[in-house]
Amino acid sequence: MKFTRIAAIVEKETTEIVRDPITVVVALLMPLLMLFLFGYAISLDVDNVPIGVFDQDRSPDSRALVDRFIQSGYFQLAQDFTDNRDVEKGLQRGTVKLALVIPPKFQNTLARDGTAPVQVLVDGTYSATANLVAAYAAAIVSDFHSEASPSVHVDARVWYNPALRSVTFVIPGLFGVILMAFPPLLTALAITREKESGSIQQIFASPLTPAEFLTGKLVPYGLIAFVQIVMVIAVGFLWFDVPLRGSIGLLLLVGLVYVFCTVGIGLLVSTVTKSQLVAMLLALIVTLMPSFLFSGFLFPISTMPYVLQLYTRLFPVQYFVDFSRGVVLKGAGLPELWPSVLLLFAYTAIIFALAAWRFRKKVA
Amino acid sequence: MSGAGDNMIEAEGLARRFGHARAISAIDLRIARGEIFGLVGPDGAGKTTLLQLLAAILDPSEGNCRVLGFDTVRQASEVTSRIGYMAQGFTLYDHLTVAENLAFAGKVRAVPQAVYAARSERILAMAALTPFLHRREGTLSGGMRKKLALCTNLIHQPPLLLLDEPGLGVDPLSRRELWRMLEDFRHEGATIVFATSYMDEAEMCDHVAFLDHGSITAQGSPDELRARAQGAVFQVETDNPVAVENVLSEAPEMLGSQWRPTDVRFVVEPAKGLSNELRKQLEQLGRVEPATPSMEDVFVVLRKGVRTEVPTGIAEVARLAASKGHREPAESVETRRLTRRFGDFVAVDDVSFEVNPGEIFGLLGPNGAGKTTLIRMLCGLLPPSNGTARVVGIDIASQPRRLRQRIGYMSQRFSLYHDLTVHENLAFFASAYGIKRRPAREAIAWASAVTGLHGLADEAVSGLSGAVRQRLALACGILHRPAVLFLDEPTSGVDPQARSRFWRLVNTLAAAGTAVLVTTHYLEEAAYCHRLGLMYEGRLIAAGDLAALRAGLPQDGLETIEDVFLAYIERERTQAVRPIGEAR
Repeated sequence: MKFTRIAAIVEKETTEIVRDPITVVVALLMPLLMLFLFGYAISLDVDNVPIGVFDQDRSPDSRALVDRFIQSGYFQLAQDFTDNRDVEKGLQRGTVKLALVIPPKFQNTLARDGTAPVQVLVDGTYSATANLVAAYAAAIVSDFHSEASPSVHVDARVWYNPALRSVTFVIPGLFGVILMAFPPLLTALAITREKESGSIQQIFASPLTPAEFLTGKLVPYGLIAFVQIVMVIAVGFLWFDVPLRGSIGLLLLVGLVYVFCTVGIGLLVSTVTKSQLVAMLLALIVTLMPSFLFSGFLFPISTMPYVLQLYTRLFPVQYFVDFSRGVVLKGAGLPELWPSVLLLFAYTAIIFALAAWRFRKKVA
Repeated sequence: MSGAGDNMIEAEGLARRFGHARAISAIDLRIARGEIFGLVGPDGAGKTTLLQLLAAILDPSEGNCRVLGFDTVRQASEVTSRIGYMAQGFTLYDHLTVAENLAFAGKVRAVPQAVYAARSERILAMAALTPFLHRREGTLSGGMRKKLALCTNLIHQPPLLLLDEPGLGVDPLSRRELWRMLEDFRHEGATIVFATSYMDEAEMCDHVAFLDHGSITAQGSPDELRARAQGAVFQVETDNPVAVENVLSEAPEMLGSQWRPTDVRFVVEPAKGLSNELRKQLEQLGRVEPATPSMEDVFVVLRKGVRTEVPTGIAEVARLAASKGHREPAESVETRRLTRRFGDFVAVDDVSFEVNPGEIFGLLGPNGAGKTTLIRMLCGLLPPSNGTARVVGIDIASQPRRLRQRIGYMSQRFSLYHDLTVHENLAFFASAYGIKRRPAREAIAWASAVTGLHGLADEAVSGLSGAVRQRLALACGILHRPAVLFLDEPTSGVDPQARSRFWRLVNTLAAAGTAVLVTTHYLEEAAYCHRLGLMYEGRLIAAGDLAALRAGLPQDGLETIEDVFLAYIERERTQAVRPIGEAR
């Protein structure tokens, strides 16, 4: 390893990147775009769900129950039904996601028995929100009842994300996903581009060793990736108001290890592919797809079949997602999170060893 | 250089396979210190593979090779850190400037700062690149890019330089400069090994090896090799080349022929010589005389196994002529003060000329002279900024769609679909021209016959050699029987035999009345053209047949077209005032 030769590669690569504005734009804007899209779009919160009411009692009590729904903030009255068939149509058309059917003599029954049945019909086509909507509705109804006849009261507390805001949960996970999506893509193109233009042959027929060449490629792309991580974290805290309970220094430090790992995956991809197109597709398959599905970013790993759980261990993104959520939401530090950090280090080392071993200075 | 003796390269039984295909086999080579060694051979002969083996960037399947005394497999890094290797094509970084590219090479080779400063100044001056230090490599002309690539390989003064087709796609002027640099470098004691398909470059070597199908078929100095074709080369001066061709195609001893406007040059088997019978037949058609063999003729003799077929399409071409009718205007191409600007840059500047039916008009000029831009305008692919042009009487600016029905265009890159077969490519282009199913079948059969593609219909293009691809590209361009054919560098990178065959095809098409406008880097190909236009920096600086061009210059003794061409450019460069009236 000769420092001057590595420096030559770094300098050359940096100049090329700076001269290619598209690369810079893609490198800096795409992560932000993704952060904003996902920050706003992925919401598991129940908010302003349109509901329809078929009130057959039309009594003060039945109106009070309907008001409970509206005032909770989760629901919005979209339709007043006068007929059972309308209820079915409303759900079918999707104009309402929930129908509240209050039977005749609701008030009388309530006054007499201290409890009265109501029917809640939920559109279950999208099961995740349907579950939440049903649960919220049940909570409101039972609350209404328990006030009418006080009995045992459950007072549940949620820790780490007391407001249960999706964005607080999504953003720290998104750090891991974004840094897996873009840095490898850029890096994978970096070597295949030279293969396509033929300039790699001049590298082969030179004193540069594979390690020097790969390190020289890694440094500038690693730095770009680090700028991405700082940017994404800053926007996450300042714009989306995600609370930071742990140490920002620790988050950035482990983030640096993580980006070298993801850049390394890009390098590895580019050593086994010949064209930019193939490199890009392969990079997407090994990075983006698993980071969505198998990182625990949206879908919890603990509910997957055991074999798939083992499979998810192949991808480093979940270690960083766990780490990032731990630091950001729980205020945890190394004493609690060291296994994830250790695995990330090991992963990075293996990726590099593989890339250096795969990269041979031969045209075929 | 430990124990290399006087041989810089020693190879024994070198072979390389890619899968089941043998790229090269059983190569024995000894290249002495200080030699200029040329590897000559047709497309796909294995020249690149051999050079990559020598550069230690490819491992042999069999045999071994020592370069500078180091084994190319076990001591590959010793080899690569010393030699210079210039790959085919443009392999520098196009986003970096001239200075940055060279500096990168210097740092990678660990050239000390002080040495670098002095050496780079000298090399850049030699390459005439000093004024372009801060231009990005991608914006340079092809010739300049090649010169810069050579510079980056000279910066560490390697004892051995391996060059893969350095002259490919480079204009003659730049090629001369490239060779001047190599000569200088050689005087400093370096050894140069290069691959080429230019026979004039082969003449400059101390030693030439002919490579064919992966084996060396002959080795020796250019003189020794030329002796092999002594007495086997003749030319017939005639005004009926078609008849001469027909006679030659019957003759068993014939190896190859080159058809030029006023004579036909042909090579017979040296062992048999020219039979009296054939001589008599030919003498009825014109004057037959022996000609001095060139390396190109040696090439034909050495490749006697692959006899060039005479095109079978002449009868078919006659049908083409009949089908065309008589509605052609007097001029097939006519331009008036045609100009094209890109921003401030004037790519084509005030160009006026015409091409008549049946005429082959050759556009010559260095890279970046505006030839391709001119052709693209005439094909209706690019609107002119100023001036007008009519092709077959159709205005190129107002009726580009109608225009494209009447012209054929073959680009430098052959624009074929590599994953499709020959037939699928032809069928696609036929449908693209809007030819209906039944006429399309006839057109494809006709175009394949003319270009000699029989038996190849189901071959995938990716598996074809450059020469066959070139003929397929031509077939695709003539499917709709165009009145005017535009050929942009049709023979770039194709070996001499295939080139001469290709020109014969073009000639037959022209003889049937098609007007042909062609650009080429190979100045010797100018001999196939009826008239020539010399382009330089966007302007047409001279036009006419070779005799007229010679007469236009004050100097005498301008033998070759290359001399004439360079003299015109020289004059253009020295004249402060722009000449008027040179271009008709």
